[in-house]
Amino acid sequence: MSVIKAENINKVYNEKTIPVHALNDVNIEIAKGEFTAIVGPSGCGKTTLLNILGGLDNPSSGKVIVGDTEITKLSDAELIDYRLKHIGFVFQAYNLIPVLTTMENVEFIMLLQKRPKVERDARAMQLLEEMGIGDKANQRPSQLSGGQQQRVAVARALASKPEFVLADEPTANLDSTSTSALLDIMAKMNEEEGATFVFSTHDQRVIDKARRVITLEDGKVISDERR
Amino acid sequence: MLIKIAWRNIWRSRGRSLVVLGSIVVGIWALVAAVGFMNGFIVGYMADSINHDISNIQIHNPEFKKDKEVNYIITDAETKIDKIQTWPGVKAATSRVLVNGMIASPKKAAGVQIRGIKPKEEAKVTQLDSLIGDGAYFEGIKRNPILIGKKLAEKLGVKVKSKVVLTFTDSHQNLTSAAFRVAGIIESSSLNLNEGYAFVLHSDLTRLLGVQDAHEIAILTDPQVDESIIVTKYQSEYPGDLAETWREIAPELALIQEMYSSMLYVLITIVMIALVFGILNTMLMAVLERFKELGMLMAVGMARIKVFGMVLLETIFIGILGAPIGLLLGWLTMFYYTQVGIDLSAYSEGLESFGYSSILYPYIENSTYWTIAIAVIITAFVGAVYPAWKAVKLKPVEALHKI
Repeated sequence: MSVIKAENINKVYNEKTIPVHALNDVNIEIAKGEFTAIVGPSGCGKTTLLNILGGLDNPSSGKVIVGDTEITKLSDAELIDYRLKHIGFVFQAYNLIPVLTTMENVEFIMLLQKRPKVERDARAMQLLEEMGIGDKANQRPSQLSGGQQQRVAVARALASKPEFVLADEPTANLDSTSTSALLDIMAKMNEEEGATFVFSTHDQRVIDKARRVITLEDGKVISDERR
Repeated sequence: MLIKIAWRNIWRSRGRSLVVLGSIVVGIWALVAAVGFMNGFIVGYMADSINHDISNIQIHNPEFKKDKEVNYIITDAETKIDKIQTWPGVKAATSRVLVNGMIASPKKAAGVQIRGIKPKEEAKVTQLDSLIGDGAYFEGIKRNPILIGKKLAEKLGVKVKSKVVLTFTDSHQNLTSAAFRVAGIIESSSLNLNEGYAFVLHSDLTRLLGVQDAHEIAILTDPQVDESIIVTKYQSEYPGDLAETWREIAPELALIQEMYSSMLYVLITIVMIALVFGILNTMLMAVLERFKELGMLMAVGMARIKVFGMVLLETIFIGILGAPIGLLLGWLTMFYYTQVGIDLSAYSEGLESFGYSSILYPYIENSTYWTIAIAVIITAFVGAVYPAWKAVKLKPVEALHKI
């Protein structure tokens, strides 16, 4: 059963001046539990596609259906609520809340979802332990390494058990050891929690770990390889 | 968590937050000080004029107002005073006999209004006894005592127990002169009290003038009473007399009061506008610096209204922190200067010629502190609305890719 279905997605920037076609008639389906990498050279439309799949951006034409909901038809406020309840995000620059501790950062999404404190604490601690940073629970992001911060970001994305996690170049700022550790953790979460991961990346180490690789070039899907 | 984030965000950039905090503290302090000093300056002047000179209400024979002829008297003045004093809102009332004349010493002469008063009753209405700087309030002189202002005494070159001669026209149009001895010197910032009036006993003046009753009834009311109600009541009971409030008797005072209110509003508005722009500038910087973070918050599902609330909360917290400090500083400033006063003697000649005291005692009502604090917090809130709105209008996808 597909979790995400993108049909005939086109995205054109600067439509009124000098049009730039970021995505050209993209059709993809991502099933539950997949560990998928969207790859391609810089400027091929990876991030744009990920943003559209996550409801952060609207396509110029085409539709995105997540489960039973066509998210491309949702209003701005509905999209915010939708993202809160169904999608986890991991960003290239970690984007943690600097004034909150590691634990509070992981709890943050659950708090927005109004989950009880006991549940929040237990889930956040469990994820931090699984990420291997349980001892950093009371530290602020500025006290952690880049790799540790990205683990916190993954924990935050998974905290509310979303239907899928979108990760935009999650390893771009990490060294090889941190990348390897992070990939192992994400693969483990994919297997143990059944979390669906979709990455945009041009990092070969991520591509090697992925079980499905969708390659984009000039905004078009040129290959879709399952392993 | 929203509160926690907002609170911690304040201390993220201490310098910037301290600038906002400082502007709120200075804003409140400046307003408290400005209101206090202006109150001391203007309200003090008005209170002096009303309490020591004009009184809240005056009653005359209508003809006396047009022509200060001594025969235009208020009939049955004492009966009327007895009745007025039973009315609610009336604290005290007294009658006066008035005549314009000359006061002369061996050295000099000057024009004055001679006021024949009843010392006890007058003291209740104008607290004239409290203004005696030298000598005593109609005591120490057996025959024809007189009180004059300090400036007039200096002008005439007289002191306590000196002899002066009053000359005026009596009720039979005869020029009358009588010798008086200075019992006390009045010290007041009021121009009239300082050099325009000479106070003698009611009985002495009525005897010399050859009139009965009085030319003027002065009424002191409770502060919260609307004087016009008492005036209307008096007019309906005694339509033959003319009753007026201090606003009609001294329209310049009413004008000063209106001007003072307008100036205060202008001052408050200027301070508030400066504060709004200071806060707006600082909070806008705080928002612009955090574009990416705010974009992330909305990307992961934080509702725009919560982002808006968070930015507002940061400013409100600073306002709540700054308000007590500003109020305390303002209160301490007022407390100190209320005790010692502000010595304006360097400008006293100029000030006294306008009827102002050379020592300024600031004054502020307790409720004004709260009004100012609330006004400043509301101003801080207004100053934060635009930055908060700017944060809300962010598109997460664009904010996340800002460098």
